[in-house]
Amino acid sequence: MDTLPALASLLLPGLGQFLSGRRGRGLSVFGVLALMLALVWWATAPAAGFAETTIAFKGDPNLWWWLIAPALVWAWNVWDAARPGGAPGWLPLLVAGGMFAIFGWQTAEISPSTLLQNGDRVMLIIRPMLQPDFLQVRAEEREGWVELLVPCPAEAPAAPSNTSDGIALELSAGCAAVGQELTVTGAGLRPDTAAEFIWQSPIGDFFPLRDPADPQQFRLVQPEADGSLQAAFSVPNAIPPGIDPNLPQEQRLYVRQSRPLGGWELSTNGRFVLQGIYETLSVALMSTALGTLLAIPISFLAARNLMGANPVTLAIYVAMRTLLNIVRSIESLIIAIIFVVIVGLGPFAGMLAVTVHTVAALAKLFSELIEGIDPGPIEAMRAVGGDWLQIIRYGVVPQIVPPFTAFTIYRLEINVRASTIVGLVGGGGIGFFLIQWINLSDFRAVSASFIAILVIVIFMDQFSAQIRKRLQ
Amino acid sequence: MSVPRPLRTTLTALAVLALIAFAWNGSQVDFARLVNSLSKGWPLLQDFLTPDVLGREIQPVTLQLAVPVPCGSAAEAPPAASGPRLVPSVPCAAPRDKFTVEGFDLAPNTELQLRWRLPSGQYFPGPFITTDADGYFKAEFEARPIVATKDGVPGQIEVELQVEVGNLRPSPTLHIVLDNVVVTIFMALMATVAAVVVAAPLSFLAAQNVMKRGPVGTAIYYLTRTFFNVFRSYEAIVLATVFAFWVGFGPFAGVLALTIVTIASLGKLYSEAVEGIDPGPVEALTATGANRLQVVLFAIVPQIVPNFLSFTIYHWDINVRISTIIGYVGGGGIGYYLAQMINTSQNSKAGTAIWAIVIVVWVMDFLSAEVRKRYT
Amino acid sequence: MLEVRNLHKVYPNGTVALTDVSFRVDDGEFLVVIGLSGSGKSTLLRCLNRLIEPSQGQILWDGVDVTAASGAELRRIRRHIGMVFQQFNLVKRSSVLTNVLAGRLGFANPWLSLLGVWPPSDRAMALRALERVGIRDKAEARADALSGGQQQRVGIARALMQEPKLILADEPVASLDPVLSHSILQYLEQLNKEEKITVICSLHFLDLVHRYATRVIALKDGKVVFTGLPQEIDKARFKAIYGEDAVEVRAGMTA
Ligand SMILES: Nc1ncnc2c1ncn2[C@@H]1O[C@H](COP(=O)(O)OP(=O)(O)OP(=O)(O)O)[C@@H](O)[C@H]1O
Ligand SMILES: [Mg+2]
Repeated sequence: MDTLPALASLLLPGLGQFLSGRRGRGLSVFGVLALMLALVWWATAPAAGFAETTIAFKGDPNLWWWLIAPALVWAWNVWDAARPGGAPGWLPLLVAGGMFAIFGWQTAEISPSTLLQNGDRVMLIIRPMLQPDFLQVRAEEREGWVELLVPCPAEAPAAPSNTSDGIALELSAGCAAVGQELTVTGAGLRPDTAAEFIWQSPIGDFFPLRDPADPQQFRLVQPEADGSLQAAFSVPNAIPPGIDPNLPQEQRLYVRQSRPLGGWELSTNGRFVLQGIYETLSVALMSTALGTLLAIPISFLAARNLMGANPVTLAIYVAMRTLLNIVRSIESLIIAIIFVVIVGLGPFAGMLAVTVHTVAALAKLFSELIEGIDPGPIEAMRAVGGDWLQIIRYGVVPQIVPPFTAFTIYRLEINVRASTIVGLVGGGGIGFFLIQWINLSDFRAVSASFIAILVIVIFMDQFSAQIRKRLQ
Repeated sequence: MSVPRPLRTTLTALAVLALIAFAWNGSQVDFARLVNSLSKGWPLLQDFLTPDVLGREIQPVTLQLAVPVPCGSAAEAPPAASGPRLVPSVPCAAPRDKFTVEGFDLAPNTELQLRWRLPSGQYFPGPFITTDADGYFKAEFEARPIVATKDGVPGQIEVELQVEVGNLRPSPTLHIVLDNVVVTIFMALMATVAAVVVAAPLSFLAAQNVMKRGPVGTAIYYLTRTFFNVFRSYEAIVLATVFAFWVGFGPFAGVLALTIVTIASLGKLYSEAVEGIDPGPVEALTATGANRLQVVLFAIVPQIVPNFLSFTIYHWDINVRISTIIGYVGGGGIGYYLAQMINTSQNSKAGTAIWAIVIVVWVMDFLSAEVRKRYT
Repeated sequence: MLEVRNLHKVYPNGTVALTDVSFRVDDGEFLVVIGLSGSGKSTLLRCLNRLIEPSQGQILWDGVDVTAASGAELRRIRRHIGMVFQQFNLVKRSSVLTNVLAGRLGFANPWLSLLGVWPPSDRAMALRALERVGIRDKAEARADALSGGQQQRVGIARALMQEPKLILADEPVASLDPVLSHSILQYLEQLNKEEKITVICSLHFLDLVHRYATRVIALKDGKVVFTGLPQEIDKARFKAIYGEDAVEVRAGMTA
């Protein structure tokens, strides 16, 4: 029994252990207890001034019961200080760990059940995700249309006809009520391909007509051998909500034939994905190049061995280092938010953001390299009679260029990842397309951009690994 | 190697230049735009540099000035000599007289509305005024008959001010930011713990020396490897977009995304640690007739614990960084708060959030460096 | 002929490294500087080509006042003085050939040399220098891929590129084992004998001094305490130079 350390620990947790030589343990005990007490205090403190906080349990007085946990650890700490060999460490770890886990669970709003409850959303995602929207079958499209009024005005118009794209269409009436049966007669169609019927609503939305026999299927009509077609259909209810259903509006029936030509082509979104890849790689490359260019002079200002000589330069050194450290801890995503406000949406904003972060990160690394260079070769170059430039070229440059290059390549790898995510806040590239597609719930395109990101990142990893191997 | 060195250097330089030209084009570089719009960034930066951390409680205070109409109908009030005050050009007025009222030491550059408080207790709106930089204004009044003294109670000119009272104290923004910091740290904590729990056993499945025995083992090895490599390629914040759609905006979406990426990344690192162990002890224990589990527990685990620990701390550090921003797209934590403040142009509050992020990242950097020094 | 007159060196932090050092070196001599660690050997050698600025005194080399030279003139003087360093001072990441060529910087066209372009004559000369120190086959290797002895030979080859009339060698063998020490010193001796290059060399081991020096200078606390032939260093002198408690250690293996 060590009474003195026990007393010390009773007063200040960890003090006893600290004084009797177990410093690490003392500090840990103190730290853990301080954290536990702070957590209870935070949880029981009422929400700030107005109830804008999203943390549901904050301010509940029942949470004071949680003080039992730190009390247990406190008691354990006295025991630990009193026992010459120390007390078993798993006890407080269990209590503290349990407490943190429970609070963490609540605070981070973890609820695995939502994963299941929202299972239907996953189904919404998964099917389109398996069909990335990148390539589509190459096809020749032809499209004819005819226009009618729904519902009928007081004075019914004549039966309309129209020819476009070589397809002539004629309707049995110029107007109709919703649900009314009409007949369309067509000519000039390709006899070998079935035709789709597509309806255009008064506000310009398109939707395919469904097969009356099987509503799961779209309506397909096979033309005759001479390219003519005759089919009956009922007028769908395409009047958007909020529009007076009694007001006659122009609607259209499109008859579309799509003949596969064999082979594949980029879809519209596929082209966006390619553009996104191009922009993302550009942002990564440009920011790395620009960042390196700016980091080099700055790194000289942030190198202690070059700047430590007199108080003025030392002050510059300290200021530089502090600035670099602050900027380095601001993620490029946040810097991108600022640049988007300044220069507007687009890859330029993202590029500037990644550049700023790159300058800060590289300048620190570079300056550490400069601080570590070997003065020997510099002395040797002076001894052989080299001038200032020659001393730099032969004594300094060969020492720092290979590691500078290695860091730069490594940074390029990081920047590729960074430039995908600055897009999420408007910094251009694949990330920008991705977040828009997410907002439109176009998961086929989302899937394509996920694959694109995978390809870019794996490609860059390999590329930089190769280059770094050569630089060794 | 047959290409002579200067030529090779020139070719490499040209290739790099060409790539940069492409990149210049692709990232739509336009420094003129940057220079022209830098002025826009200045107020933003100023707001960020003056984060909303301290404030005083705000109380409405009403300044009053009794103006007896007509003169002598009630006691005239001598105007105050200092502090926020209203000073009339005449101590009293006859009906329909015009006079001016000056205000001194009010809040500078603020828009205020003056009003009459009638003897009946009703209000009668007066002019809108804006104080200058010294908190001074001058306004025209007319002594309308309606403001005439009634039963010895004069009409009064009033202005309502928002006055800061009491001591400086943490602003509500600071409270909310603190709450969100706690949420952020717990997001990182829960994700890291969950990922460690999953990745530690999974990593053995991706270790060549453990699994590459027999076709089943090899298949599992490649499967786990692929899983790790694929999900390691995504930033958690990218995955968070999808999880936010699944479980809704909130910390949970971020935790899920972080967990997945951390499992993949830690799993890879762990499995490399497992692959790098010294086979000697394994051989020795196998020779003593220990079973597979015993071999793992007594020959492999002691060798990998230090590495596992150091990788975990390293990732905890990264996760704190990422969880500060993951809320920007997935909801939850300080990132979400930052997004809200930026979108509503409350830049001083956004500044508070940014500083909080910087401090959290710094502290975590420091702590994890210390812990790693101590334990590994 | 090199003449040093009343040389003083006080470092900015106040350390007095050299006090009133005077001596003469005739052409073709192999002068060895000995003394305890900290006695000022490195300082003295570096003052001779002004890598370190002397505080006071004069250095005359073939009638030219080295101490008065500055800028381009100083570089012209330096390019005729080869220097070999204890730590070799090679650029470890560069190739051996590049390191040797750098010895030619004082003569090279400044702009071409910045681009890393060297005239074929210099390249040939560099290969000859490497040949001479026996590592011609290592020309393309990276300097840090060589052993210590080989690296020092690169250092000597670099000095040879200057076609020097004088070589300063600051403990050229202190980082090497005894066998290598002899081989390096033999190269210096060869240059001294065959090309009549004056060598000023600081050494630690007395047996090496006896074997190679034609004349010896001993420094103690920055003062010259002995000048003369190596044979003249007897027990008493030894104690005077190295202190009462010193015992003579040998590099060993006198070749
Ligand atoms: N740059 C410097 N600044 C201040 N003092 C120095 C500096 N270089 C050397 N000195 C001091 O000058 C004295 C002589 O040093 P010098 O390096 O010339 O000795 P040395 O004989 O070469 O020793 P060693 O055998 O250890 O190389 C020593 O006391 C040393 O501490
Ligand atoms: Mg020395």
